[in-house]
Amino acid sequence: MHETSIVNSIMRTLELEFEAAQLHKMSAIHLKVGILSNIEPRLLHNAYSAYHLSDPTYQHVALHIESTSLKIQCDICSHITDVENYRFICAHCGRPSKNVIQGEEMLIHKVEFIDD
Amino acid sequence: MIEKSTKAARGTVQCENTNINLLKANDFVADIIKKEMARTKTLLINITSSAGSGKTTLMQKTAERLKDHITMAVMVGDLETERDADRIRETGIQALQIVTGGICHLEAQMVHQVLDKFDLENIDLLFIENVGNLVCPSSFDLGEDYRVTLMATTEGDDKPKKYPKMFLTSDMMLVSKADLLPYVPFSVEAVTKDAREVNHELEVLQISALTEEGVDAWCQWLLEKIRLKQG
Ligand SMILES: Nc1nc2c(ncn2[C@@H]2O[C@H](COP(=O)(O)OP(=O)(O)OP(=O)(O)O)[C@@H](O)[C@H]2O)c(=O)[nH]1
Ligand SMILES: [Mg+2]
Ligand SMILES: [Zn+2]
Repeated sequence: MHETSIVNSIMRTLELEFEAAQLHKMSAIHLKVGILSNIEPRLLHNAYSAYHLSDPTYQHVALHIESTSLKIQCDICSHITDVENYRFICAHCGRPSKNVIQGEEMLIHKVEFIDD
Repeated sequence: MIEKSTKAARGTVQCENTNINLLKANDFVADIIKKEMARTKTLLINITSSAGSGKTTLMQKTAERLKDHITMAVMVGDLETERDADRIRETGIQALQIVTGGICHLEAQMVHQVLDKFDLENIDLLFIENVGNLVCPSSFDLGEDYRVTLMATTEGDDKPKKYPKMFLTSDMMLVSKADLLPYVPFSVEAVTKDAREVNHELEVLQISALTEEGVDAWCQWLLEKIRLKQG
């Protein structure tokens, strides 16, 4: 399913980004996912556990997921609005906006390594 | 290519603030597709919807209308079967099935793998019929020029707020099976209002493959986008 692909993508992206020797020392992955990303933290944790069954290389690496709420910034008046009920409309001047400044992210925000 | 980090570890716990998009691997391939389509001047359209909203039927109708005027082809993502590609081929255009083997969306890598099966230099319009589902396909950029989402009148009209990411990332919403409007509790006005609250730039067209309502307007839209792409 969706979450399984996401976990695969995270591991592939990390392998592109870091040297194998360094990944060996990885102890934690921190994700930041917006509520617009369609990532359900609980399901992602399950998929992450399932991933270790087929590839135990990273089974000691902890996964932390932070969810972020939805915010837009108005292009005209710069006001920042907390989006409720998916109404992408500036709370100050009433203009519609697609300028999402938070809530859309799907980020590997931080990676921890342990030195021995 | 993506640069590798070579920072040496110091101390016991070392934190790397990365902020890497976790779909970076996908977007990297989507970019390659985009460049290839720019080179061959092929308009690439990603068609998404829930299961059964009328994507394949629309591909058939579009092929019947346009195949004598332009060269078009279709790539179809499906969980298990080859049926949709067969249906589209019956209209006389090239269609290729990508069987995802249970994966509920297409990824850029899957599209890229079959791209060389098409004679892109001579194709004006390439459609990707995505797997029928409004959740997962919304996150995966396939390098398309436009994303078109079908919403059938037989579905609930609360879809835009239930699946906002899909409507936020779409350029066009086609309200499909419009011939059934007299029989179903579906308000085009309400669904348009909700969808535009999510994405005020979203274009909306009402369409029926049965009565052909809206098919002219849809084909005109496509021809205009092809003209723009080909400069
Ligand atoms: N009344 C009516 N039925 C339609 C229309 N378009 C499609 N259908 C019917 O809706 C059903 C599903 O159509 P498809 O074109 O296979 O839908 P799809 O989105 O490709 O389905 P999946 O690929 O399985 O997600 C079929 O029985 C079609 O005959 C339409 O405009 N009006
Ligand atoms: Mg289909
Ligand atoms: Zn404003």
